[in-house]
Amino acid sequence: MARTVLEVRSLEAGYEPGVPIVRGASIRVEEGEIVVVLGPNGAGKSSFIKAIAGLVPVSGGSVTLDGQDITGAPAHRMVRLGLAFVPQTENVFPLMSVEDNLKVAGGVLPKREVAPRIEEMYRLFPDLRERRTTPAGNLSGGQRQMVAVARALMVRPKLLVLDEPSAGLSPKFVSMVFQMLTDVRKAGVTILLVEQNAKAALAIGDRAYVLVEGRDAHEGVASELWNDPVVAELYLGHRASPAQGGESR
Amino acid sequence: MNMQFLVDGLLTGSMIGLGAIGVTLTYSILRFSNFSHGDLMAWGTYATLMFVGAITALFGKVAPIAPLSFGWPLLLALALGMLFTGGLALLLDKILFQRLRAKGQMIIVVMASFGASMALRSLLEFLFTSSPAYFSRAIQIAKPIGFGIRITPDQIALLLLTAALVTAVHLLMTRSQIGREMRAVSQNIGLARVVGIDVARVVRFTWLIGGALACVAGVMIGVLVQIRPLMGFDMLLPVFAAAILGGIGSIPGAVLGGLIIGLSEAAAVQIFGAEWRAAIAFVILMAVLFVRPIGLFGVGER
Repeated sequence: MARTVLEVRSLEAGYEPGVPIVRGASIRVEEGEIVVVLGPNGAGKSSFIKAIAGLVPVSGGSVTLDGQDITGAPAHRMVRLGLAFVPQTENVFPLMSVEDNLKVAGGVLPKREVAPRIEEMYRLFPDLRERRTTPAGNLSGGQRQMVAVARALMVRPKLLVLDEPSAGLSPKFVSMVFQMLTDVRKAGVTILLVEQNAKAALAIGDRAYVLVEGRDAHEGVASELWNDPVVAELYLGHRASPAQGGESR
Repeated sequence: MNMQFLVDGLLTGSMIGLGAIGVTLTYSILRFSNFSHGDLMAWGTYATLMFVGAITALFGKVAPIAPLSFGWPLLLALALGMLFTGGLALLLDKILFQRLRAKGQMIIVVMASFGASMALRSLLEFLFTSSPAYFSRAIQIAKPIGFGIRITPDQIALLLLTAALVTAVHLLMTRSQIGREMRAVSQNIGLARVVGIDVARVVRFTWLIGGALACVAGVMIGVLVQIRPLMGFDMLLPVFAAAILGGIGSIPGAVLGGLIIGLSEAAAVQIFGAEWRAAIAFVILMAVLFVRPIGLFGVGER
């Protein structure tokens, strides 16, 4: 039986007090899994994942990481608690070199572990080694996501959380990013992501949750969810047909 | 044309540049124009003057390091003064700016810095009167070094000190972890938090460095010209001009901006007369900003 890395119980969260956007969502992530959170626009997916990462105020429920209660911890503490978050946009420091992006994230590690960890990241993402001195803002969208993920992995997190890693990328880069995430999982990292691009996300995910109106409405094995007619029609915006994946934004 | 303006310009430019580093740092990391920066320069200078007095009282009169007009007491006092000014900047942030920053409106923080500027300046005038003070009354003979240029040993020493400090700050920003964290906070404060950076610590560090450099800039003016409560405030315009000219947020830019302003002011004095001093500097500033609105080393908002 795999260890539970993340356990979210009836989470309530929102930017303004009394106006919850997330209204009692519960999910669970086991060690080594890729878990996908899907849902129509406005379902509160992004707020949900940001609340887990300490970026949206939590008003109820609990978040447990590896047995430790991390509910509502401030964002800058999350990294030290073992949760690394990759925001949807502006997720690299554009004027800093690739290597400085990694180094600055390594501040959480003991000093002597930083250089070896950067080396491990270059082995996992060989493209970044070639671009180590390039300002991250000058990279392509796909490579920028690579920097963002490598930066998050610097601290050896127990859980990697990504907010729509495919947002704003051209189709070529979308497949590159999802390929990268399966590689990252192979390296032993547990992943939780929210996605608009349901088809691509379900293709790499183990399990998935569908979020509707701030609650978890469905849970299932990722590969089966795509063909679940109820889920498909109501929440993913397609009719259980071999149509192109994902809804347009 | 007499080349003497080069020395005068480099010296003025160094003072302006050191002040501009502090302004550009606070602007890029805390996102507000700190108009009390000039008064931090003056406070640092008076503090250093007090420390020199205390050291002289403790150890008796110390002979200057030949051929300079000052001895080790001034250097020690400068180090203490830098700490003091850094601490003063921190205190100012703690009791004033931090609270206002938390409320979000930047214009309020800027106005508060105006208020702090006036309060600090008045307090100095109250404590030390507005008549000028000096680190040393010794007169130095400027030595000719060719091309019609004369320079005093003090001037050479202070130019070297500026070069050393600017290099040190540049290395700190590019090579050290705290420097990377400062750049990270200035580029994206939200992401900096997500990455695990303690933003409050970075802010404290920014004030310390800005304050310490303001003190050095003030002491330079004190050694080369004179010490007055208004000495910092009078530098505010060229200091801001230098920071903007160099591109807000850029340390090499601030220094280069300072040197350009200093040199063009000195050249203007020689070519057009002293009354054109400030005007020429600002014509250059505007001309550069017409061509390159983000400043020489600036980067656009992303």
